[in-house]
Amino acid sequence: MGKIKFINEYPADRVFSYDERIALLRTRKVEQTAEKAAAGGADEDDYGIVVQDEFKYTLKPNHPNGSIYGYKAWSENYCSILQQHPIYVDALDAFSAKGFFFLERLRPVGTKWNPDYSYPDLQAIFDRYQVISGIDNCHHFTPDIQIGFEKGWDGILSELKEERAKHDESHHEFYDAEIAVVENIIAFIRRAGEEIIALSKAERNFQLSENLRTMGEIDLRIAEAPPATFREAVQWCCWFSMISRTYNRGSAGGQLEDLLNPFYERDIAAGILNDEEAVFYLACLFLQDSRYWQLSGPDENDNDRTCHLSYLALEAADKLNIATNLTIRYHDKIDQKFFRKSVELLFKNKQGWPRYSSDKALMDGFMRCGYPKELARRRVAAGCHWMCIPGMEYTMNDTIKVNLAMVFEVAWNEMMALDGEKSAETLWTIYAKHLKIAVDATGRGVMHHLNYQTKSQPELILNLMQHGLVKKGVNITDGGANYYNICVDGAGIAVAADSFAAVEQRIDREKRMSYVQLQQHLDENYSGVDGERVRQMMLHSERYGGGDSLGDKWAVRISKLWTELVRDLVNQHAGDYRRVNFIPGLFSWSNTILLGSLLKATPNGRKAGEPINHGANPNGGFRADGSVTAMCNSIAAVQPGFGNTAPVQLEVDPQIANDEEGVDKMCAMIKGIMNSGNTLLNINIIDAKRILEADSDPSKFPDLVVRVTGFTAFFAMLSAKFRKLVVDRVKSVNPGACR
Amino acid sequence: MKALVTNIQRFSLTDGPGIRTTVFLQGCNMRCEWCHNPETIPMKPVELFYREKCIACGRCDDGCTAEARVMSSKEMSVEDVMREIRQDKRYYEESGGGVALSGGEPTLHADFAIALADACHKEGIKIAIETNMSLPWAHIEPVLRKMDFIMCDIKLNATVEHMKFTGVDNQTVFNSVGRTSKLGIPMIVRTPLVPGVTDSIENLKPIAEYIAKMDNIVRYELLNFNPLGGSKREALQKEDLSVEAKPLAKEKTDALLAALLEVKGLEVKVI
Repeated sequence: MGKIKFINEYPADRVFSYDERIALLRTRKVEQTAEKAAAGGADEDDYGIVVQDEFKYTLKPNHPNGSIYGYKAWSENYCSILQQHPIYVDALDAFSAKGFFFLERLRPVGTKWNPDYSYPDLQAIFDRYQVISGIDNCHHFTPDIQIGFEKGWDGILSELKEERAKHDESHHEFYDAEIAVVENIIAFIRRAGEEIIALSKAERNFQLSENLRTMGEIDLRIAEAPPATFREAVQWCCWFSMISRTYNRGSAGGQLEDLLNPFYERDIAAGILNDEEAVFYLACLFLQDSRYWQLSGPDENDNDRTCHLSYLALEAADKLNIATNLTIRYHDKIDQKFFRKSVELLFKNKQGWPRYSSDKALMDGFMRCGYPKELARRRVAAGCHWMCIPGMEYTMNDTIKVNLAMVFEVAWNEMMALDGEKSAETLWTIYAKHLKIAVDATGRGVMHHLNYQTKSQPELILNLMQHGLVKKGVNITDGGANYYNICVDGAGIAVAADSFAAVEQRIDREKRMSYVQLQQHLDENYSGVDGERVRQMMLHSERYGGGDSLGDKWAVRISKLWTELVRDLVNQHAGDYRRVNFIPGLFSWSNTILLGSLLKATPNGRKAGEPINHGANPNGGFRADGSVTAMCNSIAAVQPGFGNTAPVQLEVDPQIANDEEGVDKMCAMIKGIMNSGNTLLNINIIDAKRILEADSDPSKFPDLVVRVTGFTAFFAMLSAKFRKLVVDRVKSVNPGACR
Repeated sequence: MKALVTNIQRFSLTDGPGIRTTVFLQGCNMRCEWCHNPETIPMKPVELFYREKCIACGRCDDGCTAEARVMSSKEMSVEDVMREIRQDKRYYEESGGGVALSGGEPTLHADFAIALADACHKEGIKIAIETNMSLPWAHIEPVLRKMDFIMCDIKLNATVEHMKFTGVDNQTVFNSVGRTSKLGIPMIVRTPLVPGVTDSIENLKPIAEYIAKMDNIVRYELLNFNPLGGSKREALQKEDLSVEAKPLAKEKTDALLAALLEVKGLEVKVI
């Protein structure tokens, strides 16, 4: 376990095709995944990190609590890591950039936020409503790799030094930290190049030795200079991904064609690259890290940007066939052959990729925030449910969650403690009051985060790929970004909506029981035969996802209120120099377990502690036929509509598309979902029997990949609780679609 | 205009071209032992009991909250059904789908079927029918003329066997299938593959040869056995059917397909 150098593994005279190398690298990846699972696994993205024993880093804290805060401590610790970090080398691979851990996770538990900037008053509100505030969270916005492609590390270093000379002392801490980081990045990549060239001389296989020599030479060049070829550009991406992950798990990626096609076309024209090589390099790119890439979509003139490289990216992902986070941006003019090819691969490989975003819904929404079309179009899929303009925005995407179901519980408790009339409408009035308190506190939390995040964790890596930030000389949270579009997500909408609907239907309309009687059953967690009888009645009320149901009506009402309240934060904080925009979304990420754990029994028949619904999806069993279209229509109806997403999470049986006609129908289904107002489709193609077998013994399915929420992951890496999330969704959706 | 509707299944992918909403009506004139919707056979609603959903509260007379005891159908108007149908209009348009009228035997509700077809067409929605073609031509022709697509079953070629397993003579079926040619409406003919009953090449080939001569046939579909009917029969508290309740293995269906390749001019598909 933990091997990080793969040299002299094959006979001297063996000759490898690119496909053989991809297959061998895939096998290695599956083995390494098994090692990661044995080491405890992880309920998150794969990140491409490798478990190893060779290098452990001990944090050098600058605070009595054992943590690190501010520019200097982060810079010093990071530079120290880079100086010691061993170089991972695989002679089969085209690239050399694998990391082992994240600096941000070396801090002691509970010490992420600088205690000098505590927020006890806000925390009390967050605790009451189960708000995940996003305070102390890092990255979750997107760098623009193009900046690195144009300047190279040396160009970035030169600009930092030039700007330092122009700025007063108040900016020097920023510049000194960034300069040290970039100098160490350059030294690290140069060291990698030298080491790999040395290893190339030790490698007995001629073909692999040549590969290592080329790899090392490329590293020596791009340690300072901008990349000049397709292979150099992809290697640059890999290095950036590794150094960014190693710092704070920071994300990368972007519109793949925009970044790489210029290199591809130039190299093809020059005769120094062919498609087979390009596919191999792309496969190695996808192998190196599971970062998000967007493919296709319209260009600035509304024409389809699908190109030959888009096809090669699909081909590379197909050959590699592991956890790959590819998003196809769907629009009316998309190359239909490309779109169909992507659907075929989705069903062929059954690994949860690609997924689909809707250009129209995202564009229309973001432009409602006041942004021009050109900027809206540049906002690409870059995370589980989120979009970002590379190098332009600070977003806190996917880090803020308000538990709409817990707000319901608080409102319910208040209504039941009052002497006055009890009804769904009374409850709604109280709910609206509490939701406003929760949202307003969340907005103040965002501002607190923006004001003091630099004192906790400056973004020393992602800062470098922001347009204009180096000239400003400040961290991204201090005005370094061009735009602040803060993502604020509501979670548990189905639990709240179904609870309102059940109360209105069973108590107000049908008079099946009183509010006091229901309270008693909730207090007793629907225990006993009578409790179960009542629970079943509430569970079978008209639910969100049913189609034109009471639950759907309440979900729309909640979404509208949620959207109004989040948008009102823009006015509340209009005076801030950063001109902060707040964009509502509906997403839970994998917090369904956490956010359900403290929630008592709810009127929709959910028992205490059970998970809340996933994202914007309805609760399991929302319709007897589990209709995909009914579900997607309901999710379309609750889209907040300002450019962030309320994704559809869809589990589909592979038999649905086992022939040409089936693929046609799935293409139509995806088009229907994309054209109905939905923003994002996260999709799993899973055989229910297979997932049940894998759940009982994950080790038997080491290469099974599932889309857990927005991210794909090896199923064997997930904890039993997270596997259950996927299993339950597979079991609940679409039982009647296939004979 | 009302009818007893046993189920409305949205996002149906196996009931004709494209994505469809399938409307199942109560009542059938056949008595097929293998029927995967046996609750639709009686002309009136019947009670189904799903044992696995029962919470044993002992209060069945107060109404079952767990939906363990449910009635097979409820009366719905054309507008009631249309409210559900029109929700997926976008998906019909994207896929070339629409509505599928099924059962039971939907031509038993001819007036309702015609009214529903008119309502669909008024809103630009296409409609297909799944029928056993066993009622008199004069009765079913007005219904079929309203349809954009026809799916019909020919279950058994042998007349005696057909009578034995369905309770109905198949001569009317063959005659009506043949007469659809003049309607000019595309049609799929289907045979359910019931192990030991309908799954022999001796049964399938004559059917294939008969329809291969017709010019409105899109293809011949062999519907692999659907064991779903078993659980429904259990819910109806009836004994399960005598035939082996398992879908045919791929080797067997491949062999049938290969044998039917001899019939020229006919596409055959196993569903």
